[in-house]
Amino acid sequence: MAYSEKVVDHYNNPRNVGSMPKEDPNVGTGLVGAPECGDVMKLQMKINPDTKIIEEAKFKTFGCGSAIASSSLATEWVKGKTVEEALAIKNTDIVRELSLPPVKIHCSVLAEDAIKAAIGDWKKKHGIEVPAHEKSSH
Amino acid sequence: MSTPFPITDSPLVCWSCHERTIGTHFCSSCGKMLQVPEKSDYFAMFEIPRKLWIEMSGLEKKFLQLSWKLHPDNFVNASPEEREISLKRSSELNDAYRTLREPVGRVEYLLAIEGARVEGKSKQQAPPELLEEVFGLNESLDELREAKASGGDLGNLKERLTAAEKNFQDKLAEVDGELQNAAKEWDAAVDASADEAKRRIVMAKLNELLNRRSYIRNLVVNVEKELL
Repeated sequence: MAYSEKVVDHYNNPRNVGSMPKEDPNVGTGLVGAPECGDVMKLQMKINPDTKIIEEAKFKTFGCGSAIASSSLATEWVKGKTVEEALAIKNTDIVRELSLPPVKIHCSVLAEDAIKAAIGDWKKKHGIEVPAHEKSSH
Repeated sequence: MSTPFPITDSPLVCWSCHERTIGTHFCSSCGKMLQVPEKSDYFAMFEIPRKLWIEMSGLEKKFLQLSWKLHPDNFVNASPEEREISLKRSSELNDAYRTLREPVGRVEYLLAIEGARVEGKSKQQAPPELLEEVFGLNESLDELREAKASGGDLGNLKERLTAAEKNFQDKLAEVDGELQNAAKEWDAAVDASADEAKRRIVMAKLNELLNRRSYIRNLVVNVEKELL
Protein backbone atom coordinates (compact mmCIF):
# COMPACT_ATOMS: atom_id res chain seq x y z
CA MET A 1 0.00 0.00 0.00
CA ALA A 2 1.41 3.37 -0.95
CA TYR A 3 0.87 6.55 1.00
CA SER A 4 -0.77 9.46 -0.78
CA GLU A 5 1.40 12.39 -1.81
CA LYS A 6 -0.08 14.54 0.93
CA VAL A 7 0.74 11.99 3.62
CA VAL A 8 4.32 11.74 2.37
CA ASP A 9 4.58 15.55 2.34
CA HIS A 10 3.38 15.85 5.95
CA TYR A 11 5.59 12.96 6.96
CA ASN A 12 8.71 14.46 5.40
CA ASN A 13 7.91 18.04 6.40
CA PRO A 14 5.74 17.78 9.48
CA ARG A 15 4.23 21.15 10.42
CA ASN A 16 4.32 22.46 13.96
CA VAL A 17 6.33 19.74 15.61
CA GLY A 18 7.23 20.58 19.18
CA SER A 19 5.72 21.26 22.53
CA MET A 20 4.53 24.07 24.77
CA PRO A 21 4.60 24.30 28.55
CA LYS A 22 1.83 22.08 29.87
CA GLU A 23 1.38 24.28 32.94
CA ASP A 24 0.55 27.43 30.92
CA PRO A 25 -3.11 28.16 31.70
CA ASN A 26 -3.72 29.07 28.06
CA VAL A 27 -2.28 25.82 26.75
CA GLY A 28 -4.49 22.79 26.35
CA THR A 29 -2.78 19.40 26.03
CA GLY A 30 -4.29 16.28 24.54
CA LEU A 31 -2.43 13.00 24.85
CA VAL A 32 -4.15 10.12 23.10
CA GLY A 33 -3.18 6.67 21.96
CA ALA A 34 -4.29 3.78 19.81
CA PRO A 35 -3.37 0.63 21.71
CA GLU A 36 -4.13 -1.60 18.72
CA CYS A 37 -1.13 -0.24 16.88
CA GLY A 38 0.80 1.32 19.74
CA ASP A 39 0.67 4.89 18.42
CA VAL A 40 0.81 7.85 20.82
CA MET A 41 -0.06 11.40 19.84
CA LYS A 42 0.32 14.64 21.78
CA LEU A 43 -1.39 17.74 20.54
CA GLN A 44 -1.18 21.11 22.24
CA MET A 45 -2.94 24.40 21.55
CA LYS A 46 -2.44 27.86 22.87
CA ILE A 47 -5.84 29.48 23.11
CA ASN A 48 -6.58 33.15 23.63
CA PRO A 49 -9.01 33.25 26.58
CA ASP A 50 -10.76 36.40 25.31
CA THR A 51 -11.22 35.64 21.64
CA LYS A 52 -11.19 31.81 22.06
CA ILE A 53 -8.97 31.70 19.00
CA ILE A 54 -6.31 29.02 18.75
CA GLU A 55 -3.15 31.02 18.29
CA GLU A 56 -0.60 28.26 18.30
CA ALA A 57 -0.64 24.50 17.86
CA LYS A 58 2.10 21.92 18.33
CA PHE A 59 2.23 18.16 18.08
CA LYS A 60 4.45 15.21 18.63
CA THR A 61 3.43 11.78 17.42
CA PHE A 62 5.11 8.43 17.73
CA GLY A 63 3.50 6.24 15.16
CA CYS A 64 3.09 5.46 11.51
CA GLY A 65 3.19 7.94 8.62
CA SER A 66 -0.58 8.33 8.59
CA ALA A 67 -0.71 9.15 12.30
CA ILE A 68 2.02 11.76 11.88
CA ALA A 69 0.35 13.25 8.81
CA SER A 70 -3.08 13.32 10.52
CA SER A 71 -1.75 15.18 13.55
CA SER A 72 0.40 17.51 11.45
CA LEU A 73 -2.65 18.39 9.36
CA ALA A 74 -4.74 18.83 12.51
CA THR A 75 -2.34 21.47 13.87
CA GLU A 76 -2.44 23.29 10.54
CA TRP A 77 -6.22 23.27 10.49
CA VAL A 78 -6.88 24.36 14.06
CA LYS A 79 -4.52 27.35 13.94
CA GLY A 80 -6.50 30.57 13.63
CA LYS A 81 -9.80 28.81 14.29
CA THR A 82 -11.99 29.39 17.31
CA VAL A 83 -12.45 26.58 19.80
CA GLU A 84 -15.93 25.88 18.46
CA GLU A 85 -14.71 25.74 14.87
CA ALA A 86 -11.88 23.39 15.81
CA LEU A 87 -14.32 21.07 17.57
CA ALA A 88 -16.26 20.82 14.32
CA ILE A 89 -13.31 19.14 12.57
CA LYS A 90 -14.23 15.53 11.89
CA ASN A 91 -11.94 12.63 11.30
CA THR A 92 -13.66 12.12 7.95
CA ASP A 93 -12.37 15.55 6.86
CA ILE A 94 -8.85 14.35 7.58
CA VAL A 95 -9.44 11.07 5.76
CA ARG A 96 -10.61 12.98 2.71
CA GLU A 97 -7.78 15.51 2.73
CA LEU A 98 -5.07 12.87 3.11
CA SER A 99 -6.82 10.14 1.06
CA LEU A 100 -6.28 7.67 3.88
CA PRO A 101 -7.09 4.02 3.09
CA PRO A 102 -9.62 2.19 5.32
CA VAL A 103 -6.92 0.52 7.42
CA LYS A 104 -5.57 3.94 8.39
CA ILE A 105 -8.83 5.58 9.36
CA HIS A 106 -8.07 5.04 13.05
CA CYS A 107 -5.15 7.48 12.65
CA SER A 108 -7.58 10.24 11.71
CA VAL A 109 -9.83 9.26 14.62
CA LEU A 110 -6.83 9.64 16.88
CA ALA A 111 -6.20 13.17 15.55
CA GLU A 112 -9.83 14.16 16.10
CA ASP A 113 -9.63 12.75 19.62
CA ALA A 114 -6.43 14.69 20.25
CA ILE A 115 -8.10 17.97 19.22
CA LYS A 116 -11.03 17.26 21.56
CA ALA A 117 -8.73 16.21 24.40
CA ALA A 118 -6.57 19.33 24.06
CA ILE A 119 -9.57 21.64 24.04
CA GLY A 120 -11.11 19.67 26.90
CA ASP A 121 -7.95 20.17 28.92
CA TRP A 122 -7.97 23.91 28.21
CA LYS A 123 -11.66 24.15 29.13
CA LYS A 124 -11.00 22.33 32.38
CA LYS A 125 -8.27 24.82 33.23
CA HIS A 126 -10.77 27.62 32.70
CA GLY A 127 -13.60 25.96 34.58
CA ILE A 128 -15.71 25.44 31.48
CA GLU A 129 -17.78 22.30 31.51
CA VAL A 130 -17.01 19.79 28.77
CA PRO A 131 -20.17 18.32 27.25
CA ALA A 132 -20.15 14.53 26.92
CA HIS A 133 -20.14 14.56 23.11
CA GLU A 134 -16.93 16.61 23.12
CA LYS A 135 -15.09 14.08 25.22
CA SER A 136 -12.39 12.29 23.34
CA SER A 137 -13.75 8.79 23.69
CA HIS A 138 -15.40 7.31 20.65
CA MET B 1 -21.75 -14.17 25.58
CA SER B 2 -20.15 -17.01 27.42
CA THR B 3 -20.50 -20.52 26.22
CA PRO B 4 -20.51 -23.52 28.52
CA PHE B 5 -18.46 -26.53 27.59
CA PRO B 6 -19.05 -28.59 25.46
CA ILE B 7 -19.52 -26.05 22.73
CA THR B 8 -21.17 -26.89 19.49
CA ASP B 9 -21.53 -24.10 17.05
CA SER B 10 -22.46 -26.48 14.28
CA PRO B 11 -25.70 -26.08 12.37
CA LEU B 12 -28.54 -28.00 13.91
CA VAL B 13 -29.64 -29.56 10.67
CA CYS B 14 -27.29 -31.36 8.29
CA TRP B 15 -27.26 -29.93 4.75
CA SER B 16 -27.03 -33.40 3.27
CA CYS B 17 -29.33 -35.75 5.19
CA HIS B 18 -31.47 -32.98 6.73
CA GLU B 19 -31.30 -34.70 10.08
CA ARG B 20 -30.66 -32.85 13.31
CA THR B 21 -27.01 -33.27 14.11
CA ILE B 22 -24.64 -32.73 16.99
CA GLY B 23 -21.28 -33.21 15.26
CA THR B 24 -18.52 -30.62 15.16
CA HIS B 25 -17.07 -31.30 11.72
CA PHE B 26 -19.08 -34.25 10.51
CA CYS B 27 -22.78 -35.02 10.69
CA SER B 28 -23.62 -37.38 13.51
CA SER B 29 -26.27 -39.04 11.37
CA CYS B 30 -24.91 -39.45 7.86
CA GLY B 31 -21.21 -38.74 8.41
CA LYS B 32 -20.96 -36.01 5.76
CA MET B 33 -18.78 -33.02 6.46
CA LEU B 34 -20.87 -30.23 7.93
CA GLN B 35 -21.03 -26.75 6.49
CA VAL B 36 -18.74 -24.18 8.07
CA PRO B 37 -20.72 -22.27 10.70
CA GLU B 38 -21.14 -18.58 9.96
CA LYS B 39 -19.54 -17.50 13.20
CA SER B 40 -16.21 -19.18 13.58
CA ASP B 41 -15.16 -20.50 16.95
CA TYR B 42 -11.63 -21.85 16.97
CA PHE B 43 -12.06 -23.36 20.41
CA ALA B 44 -15.15 -25.26 19.29
CA MET B 45 -13.30 -26.52 16.20
CA PHE B 46 -10.86 -28.27 18.48
CA GLU B 47 -13.65 -29.24 20.88
CA ILE B 48 -11.93 -27.54 23.77
CA PRO B 49 -13.44 -25.11 26.30
CA ARG B 50 -12.82 -21.38 25.91
CA LYS B 51 -9.91 -21.41 28.28
CA LEU B 52 -6.52 -19.79 27.89
CA TRP B 53 -4.31 -22.60 29.05
CA ILE B 54 -4.08 -25.08 26.22
CA GLU B 55 -2.06 -28.24 26.30
CA MET B 56 0.14 -27.83 23.23
CA SER B 57 0.89 -31.45 22.36
CA GLY B 58 -2.81 -32.27 22.57
CA LEU B 59 -3.66 -29.32 20.32
CA GLU B 60 -1.06 -30.36 17.79
CA LYS B 61 -2.24 -33.94 17.77
CA LYS B 62 -5.82 -32.89 17.23
CA PHE B 63 -4.72 -30.47 14.51
CA LEU B 64 -2.89 -33.20 12.60
CA GLN B 65 -5.84 -35.59 12.92
CA LEU B 66 -8.33 -33.01 11.74
CA SER B 67 -6.09 -31.81 8.91
CA TRP B 68 -5.97 -35.36 7.70
CA LYS B 69 -9.73 -35.90 7.95
CA LEU B 70 -10.73 -32.59 6.41
CA HIS B 71 -8.07 -32.46 3.70
CA PRO B 72 -9.35 -31.68 0.17
CA ASP B 73 -7.41 -34.67 -1.17
CA ASN B 74 -9.98 -36.90 0.51
CA PHE B 75 -12.78 -35.28 -1.46
CA VAL B 76 -11.45 -35.29 -4.99
CA ASN B 77 -14.34 -37.44 -6.15
CA ALA B 78 -16.97 -35.89 -3.89
CA SER B 79 -19.69 -33.44 -4.87
CA PRO B 80 -18.75 -29.79 -5.54
CA GLU B 81 -20.44 -28.81 -2.26
CA GLU B 82 -18.33 -31.21 -0.28
CA ARG B 83 -15.16 -30.16 -2.06
CA GLU B 84 -15.87 -26.56 -1.19
CA ILE B 85 -16.67 -27.36 2.44
CA SER B 86 -13.46 -29.34 2.74
CA LEU B 87 -11.45 -26.45 1.37
CA LYS B 88 -13.13 -23.98 3.71
CA ARG B 89 -12.82 -26.17 6.75
CA SER B 90 -9.17 -26.92 6.05
CA SER B 91 -8.24 -23.29 5.68
CA GLU B 92 -10.17 -22.37 8.80
CA LEU B 93 -8.49 -25.14 10.71
CA ASN B 94 -5.10 -23.71 9.75
CA ASP B 95 -6.14 -20.25 10.94
CA ALA B 96 -7.48 -21.72 14.15
CA TYR B 97 -4.30 -23.64 14.88
CA ARG B 98 -2.07 -20.67 14.13
CA THR B 99 -4.14 -18.45 16.44
CA LEU B 100 -4.55 -20.81 19.37
CA ARG B 101 -0.93 -21.91 19.29
CA GLU B 102 0.24 -18.38 20.04
CA PRO B 103 -0.43 -17.24 23.65
CA VAL B 104 -1.07 -13.56 22.86
CA GLY B 105 -3.03 -14.26 19.69
CA ARG B 106 -5.15 -16.68 21.72
CA VAL B 107 -6.10 -13.98 24.24
CA GLU B 108 -6.91 -11.53 21.44
CA TYR B 109 -9.09 -14.10 19.75
CA LEU B 110 -10.92 -15.05 22.94
CA LEU B 111 -11.72 -11.40 23.67
CA ALA B 112 -12.86 -10.90 20.10
CA ILE B 113 -15.34 -13.80 20.13
CA GLU B 114 -16.52 -12.87 23.61
CA GLY B 115 -17.23 -9.39 22.23
CA ALA B 116 -14.77 -7.64 24.55
CA ARG B 117 -12.39 -6.46 21.87
CA VAL B 118 -13.69 -5.36 18.51
CA GLU B 119 -10.70 -4.52 16.38
CA GLY B 120 -10.91 -1.15 14.66
CA LYS B 121 -14.55 -0.70 15.64
CA SER B 122 -15.00 0.37 19.20
CA LYS B 123 -11.79 2.15 19.98
CA GLN B 124 -9.58 0.84 22.71
CA GLN B 125 -8.89 3.25 25.52
CA ALA B 126 -5.55 3.52 27.19
CA PRO B 127 -5.25 4.84 30.75
CA PRO B 128 -3.60 8.32 30.88
CA GLU B 129 -0.71 7.12 33.08
CA LEU B 130 0.20 4.52 30.50
CA LEU B 131 0.12 7.10 27.72
CA GLU B 132 2.34 9.43 29.74
CA GLU B 133 4.79 6.64 30.39
CA VAL B 134 4.86 5.42 26.79
CA PHE B 135 5.20 8.97 25.49
CA GLY B 136 8.13 9.58 27.81
CA LEU B 137 9.84 6.35 26.80
CA ASN B 138 9.35 7.21 23.14
CA GLU B 139 10.83 10.65 23.73
CA SER B 140 13.94 9.24 25.33
CA LEU B 141 14.31 6.84 22.44
CA ASP B 142 13.89 9.78 20.09
CA GLU B 143 16.69 11.67 21.85
CA LEU B 144 18.99 8.72 21.39
CA ARG B 145 18.02 8.53 17.74
CA GLU B 146 18.79 12.19 17.21
CA ALA B 147 22.12 11.91 18.98
CA LYS B 148 22.93 8.99 16.73
CA ALA B 149 22.00 10.95 13.62
CA SER B 150 24.12 13.92 14.61
CA GLY B 151 27.10 11.68 15.22
CA GLY B 152 27.31 11.75 18.98
CA ASP B 153 29.63 9.59 21.02
CA LEU B 154 28.72 6.25 19.49
CA GLY B 155 30.12 4.03 22.21
CA ASN B 156 28.18 5.82 24.88
CA LEU B 157 25.07 5.86 22.71
CA LYS B 158 25.16 2.17 22.08
CA GLU B 159 25.39 1.64 25.79
CA ARG B 160 22.33 3.80 26.41
CA LEU B 161 20.36 2.12 23.64
CA THR B 162 21.25 -1.29 24.99
CA ALA B 163 20.14 -0.17 28.44
CA ALA B 164 16.89 1.13 26.95
CA GLU B 165 16.36 -2.16 25.16
CA LYS B 166 16.89 -4.08 28.37
CA ASN B 167 14.43 -1.80 30.14
CA PHE B 168 11.77 -2.36 27.45
CA GLN B 169 12.41 -6.10 27.37
CA ASP B 170 11.99 -6.22 31.14
CA LYS B 171 8.72 -4.35 30.85
CA LEU B 172 7.58 -6.75 28.15
CA ALA B 173 8.44 -9.73 30.33
CA GLU B 174 6.57 -8.09 33.19
CA VAL B 175 3.43 -7.53 31.15
CA ASP B 176 3.64 -11.07 29.78
CA GLY B 177 3.78 -12.35 33.33
CA GLU B 178 0.73 -10.31 34.26
CA LEU B 179 -1.02 -11.57 31.16
CA GLN B 180 -0.33 -15.14 32.23
CA ASN B 181 -1.78 -14.49 35.66
CA ALA B 182 -4.88 -12.89 34.20
CA ALA B 183 -5.23 -15.87 31.86
CA LYS B 184 -5.23 -18.16 34.89
CA GLU B 185 -7.89 -15.99 36.45
CA TRP B 186 -9.99 -16.38 33.32
CA ASP B 187 -9.63 -20.16 33.35
CA ALA B 188 -10.60 -20.25 37.01
CA ALA B 189 -13.68 -18.17 36.23
CA VAL B 190 -14.65 -20.59 33.45
CA ASP B 191 -14.09 -23.60 35.72
CA ALA B 192 -16.20 -22.03 38.44
CA SER B 193 -18.91 -21.12 35.88
CA ALA B 194 -18.56 -17.57 37.10
CA ASP B 195 -21.28 -15.13 36.16
CA GLU B 196 -21.11 -12.64 33.32
CA ALA B 197 -20.08 -9.76 35.59
CA LYS B 198 -17.05 -11.61 36.93
CA ARG B 199 -16.04 -12.66 33.43
CA ARG B 200 -16.32 -9.08 32.20
CA ILE B 201 -13.93 -7.94 34.92
CA VAL B 202 -11.30 -10.50 33.95
CA MET B 203 -11.77 -9.70 30.27
CA ALA B 204 -11.29 -6.00 30.93
CA LYS B 205 -8.06 -6.81 32.70
CA LEU B 206 -6.87 -8.98 29.81
CA ASN B 207 -7.79 -6.27 27.36
CA GLU B 208 -5.86 -3.62 29.25
CA LEU B 209 -2.81 -5.85 29.41
CA LEU B 210 -2.97 -6.52 25.69
CA ASN B 211 -3.06 -2.79 25.04
CA ARG B 212 -0.12 -2.18 27.31
CA ARG B 213 1.72 -4.99 25.63
CA SER B 214 1.26 -3.55 22.16
CA TYR B 215 2.79 -0.22 23.24
CA ILE B 216 5.76 -1.89 24.85
CA ARG B 217 6.17 -4.26 21.94
CA ASN B 218 6.47 -1.22 19.64
CA LEU B 219 9.14 0.27 21.86
CA VAL B 220 11.13 -2.95 21.77
CA VAL B 221 10.89 -3.11 17.97
CA ASN B 222 11.90 0.54 17.62
CA VAL B 223 14.88 0.33 19.92
CA GLU B 224 16.02 -2.86 18.20
CA LYS B 225 15.92 -1.05 14.86
CA GLU B 226 18.34 1.53 16.25
CA LEU B 227 20.69 -1.15 17.47
CA LEU B 228 20.98 -2.91 14.10
